[in-house]
Amino acid sequence: MLRFYVEVARTAYRRQLIYRWANLAGLCTNVFFCLILSSVLIALYQARPTVGSYNLRDILSYSWATQAMIMVVLPFGWIDLMLTIRTGEVVTDLSKPCDFFCYWCSRELGRAFYFLLFRGLPTYLIGLLIFHVELGAGWSVWPAFLLSLTLGTVTGVVFRILMNLAAFWIIEARSIVGFGLTTAHFFAGSYLPLVFFPPWLATLAAWLPFTGMMNGPAEVFLGKLSGPTLLREILLQLAWILALIVIVRLLTKIATRRVVVQGG
Amino acid sequence: MTMIEAINLSKTFRVAKRRPGLLGGLRSIVDPEVRLVEAVRDLSLTVEPGEMIGLVGPNGAGKSTTIKMLTGILMPSAGKVRVAGFNPLHQRREMASHIGVVFGQRTQLWWDLPLIDSLRLLRHLYRVPEARHTANLKRLRELLELDEFIDTPVRQLSLGQRMRGDLTAALLHDPELLYLDEPTIGLDVVAKARIREFLLRINAERGTTILITTHDMDDVETLCPRLLIIDHGRKLYDGGLTEIRERFGGERVLLAVLDPAEVHALPHDASGQPHLADLPAGVHLAKSDGPRFWLSFGRNTMPAHELVAWLGARYQLKDVTFLEPEIEDVIRRIYEENLLLHELESIPQQA
Amino acid sequence: MFQALARDICLYIRLIAMQVKAQLQYKVDLALDVLTSFLVTALEFATLLIYFVPFPTLLGWKVGEVALLGAVVSIGFGLAELFGGGIDNFEVIIRQGDFDRILLRPVTALMQVSTTQFRLRRFGRITQGLSAFGLALFFLRDAHLVWTPLKILVLCLGILSSALIFVSVLLLGATVCFWTVETTELTNILTYGGREMLSYPLTIYHQFMQRLFVFIVPLAFGTYIPVCYVLERALPFALPNWLAFSSPLIALLFALIALAFWRFGVHRYQSTGS
Repeated sequence: MLRFYVEVARTAYRRQLIYRWANLAGLCTNVFFCLILSSVLIALYQARPTVGSYNLRDILSYSWATQAMIMVVLPFGWIDLMLTIRTGEVVTDLSKPCDFFCYWCSRELGRAFYFLLFRGLPTYLIGLLIFHVELGAGWSVWPAFLLSLTLGTVTGVVFRILMNLAAFWIIEARSIVGFGLTTAHFFAGSYLPLVFFPPWLATLAAWLPFTGMMNGPAEVFLGKLSGPTLLREILLQLAWILALIVIVRLLTKIATRRVVVQGG
Repeated sequence: MTMIEAINLSKTFRVAKRRPGLLGGLRSIVDPEVRLVEAVRDLSLTVEPGEMIGLVGPNGAGKSTTIKMLTGILMPSAGKVRVAGFNPLHQRREMASHIGVVFGQRTQLWWDLPLIDSLRLLRHLYRVPEARHTANLKRLRELLELDEFIDTPVRQLSLGQRMRGDLTAALLHDPELLYLDEPTIGLDVVAKARIREFLLRINAERGTTILITTHDMDDVETLCPRLLIIDHGRKLYDGGLTEIRERFGGERVLLAVLDPAEVHALPHDASGQPHLADLPAGVHLAKSDGPRFWLSFGRNTMPAHELVAWLGARYQLKDVTFLEPEIEDVIRRIYEENLLLHELESIPQQA
Repeated sequence: MFQALARDICLYIRLIAMQVKAQLQYKVDLALDVLTSFLVTALEFATLLIYFVPFPTLLGWKVGEVALLGAVVSIGFGLAELFGGGIDNFEVIIRQGDFDRILLRPVTALMQVSTTQFRLRRFGRITQGLSAFGLALFFLRDAHLVWTPLKILVLCLGILSSALIFVSVLLLGATVCFWTVETTELTNILTYGGREMLSYPLTIYHQFMQRLFVFIVPLAFGTYIPVCYVLERALPFALPNWLAFSSPLIALLFALIALAFWRFGVHRYQSTGS
């Protein structure tokens, strides 16, 4: 069965390869918004040289890293699952002999891998060229970073699936998905670095599953987390993944039982 | 006043090689690779008010290009055209109130709105006085039986219903000229018959000039006394159906049903087909299926009754039918064998 | 001639009203849409404010000042999105081959295009802009800002001008579709990127970008410059103060250029048959 899911991921990856030019255009957009963000941060840092443990170079690295991760973890406007619910396709999907959740998970992970290679990496490389951002705080950081990134990606995937499931109960779930994703982005650090948050907001963020999606991996990458704090972050990511999976499976079961399908 | 007057209309396209993708799109603007395509060549046409004309031709013949030039969507490369007294290109908006257009594939109705809302909206778009609009709508509702679905959103309508809606939409402002692009495509037999009946009716009642582009030969046979054949951008034929059939009909077909026992006794050839010996000159067996035999013979070969007599003398005929060449086959022959083009080529061109 | 204009405006209102009616039928969906639109734009604004938690100023601009700038951009862009939604969506019309039908109607093509895709949910951004404006005033209360009638006038003119300029930029982007539909993502960078950029003081950007948004695509005249006037700050490139009042004129000029380009695009469509 595992082979099947690997194949699903592979197919998803291959299917994305076709959209080379759309990806290039998307890359331009990514880079452009990164540049705006960088301009703002540079201007802000003229008033104060460090925030938390982040100096200007740190904060630029953080921003480029999170922006690079967006398409991997939380691509905007992902409503693929919601659309199958709307068209009724989901009924056939649910009756397939594979696990519904695992199927969607594998699929999205395949795509995420594509975006890692063809969007994330190029974006960060450009940041490297223009702003000489950090190349990881030393070699030791990489294994931890890759682990954290993988966990963050999985969290993102599960969360997006969860949001899309809302379409089982609400017909026009597009705005809910949009809002859910925006909130996730906000608390994951893609709007602005989480280290800028006032204490009360930072506390709120700590109780939500989103920080592990992008902020966590970014902090690991910059070497801001090590030893006990690093372990805590990884465990937290795992805990949220489990919690979200439980919710998703529960909802899927309820939905399967009373399939309210809106066709047409 | 002539409804349509086109003189030597031509359209040559400079087709840039489309390179796919983002970079390709940009390159196409800066450095296009171009070749010239003559879509329409020296097409002249005169249409009087009240006529019903069929426009026929293979795909890529230049039919849509011609229609686009007549409706002002496309600028001709050469030639003059006047429709309903207007220059379609320069007086596009004024002319638009005098013509109606129905595309078989795309609707002009608003997708999310109930049909009636679209029809009401069009009144304002075309600036039709309220009284006239109401009267037209009433009449069209009756003729096309719209009442059962007039309140349904257009996206929920069946193809036939949507076509009826589009026809109504095109006629609400009393256009003098109606263009129909494949109006019966995809419809079932009943719906097609209904549409054809409707078109004949409005042509009779209102004198609306109708120009139909179609691949459906039944459309042509039922509706169009005048046929325009276009191929390779040129007008190959402009005239009646019967003449076409006679000139290019080629062969007639006699379908003879023989006695099955007798068929069994016939000599069979190498491929297992029964063989009718000593057929008269010019007559040959096109195909056979059990007791049925299709015999095709040239029009000028022998009178039909003689052939029947000849067959009757030798075999027991159970049934005999004459099949006219399908206009479909006629036209196919014309396309495939470039019959008219050959003719055109052999006649010295007159200015 | 004015009669024709009046008729066109009547038709415009009617076409919009038709869509409004259709959307009002699904009240719950609409309310949800407007709410989420409001919340999403509010989060963007919140970002702006949070920057001032660790930092006292952004290149000398305090929180209330940046908030004012952000609010003005939100309202202007919101209005442009509301009325120019159809233009922004023109790519779809071309892709689906629906432009022919538009040419077959006795109404100007641009008018028809601009009445499509009218979405009430875009009021979410406008509402957010107005709330942001209120918030900005709250933050500015200590700044001893003197509100003169002239300042209010400049701000109103500015917002309307920026809406017109944004719509013109959308129109330029739409016109490009007559040549190729593959580059729409790039034109999006100009519209949405432009909006994002102008939400911050122009001075944080490279000289080249500043020149772009003042002299070429004069979005700064509808946003940054009026706000500078209100806040009694120097205009970019040492331009004279009274130039802030010229925003409607500049907007009109830019709109006419965009319109001329559009007409050229339509003409090209008719000669090459797409």
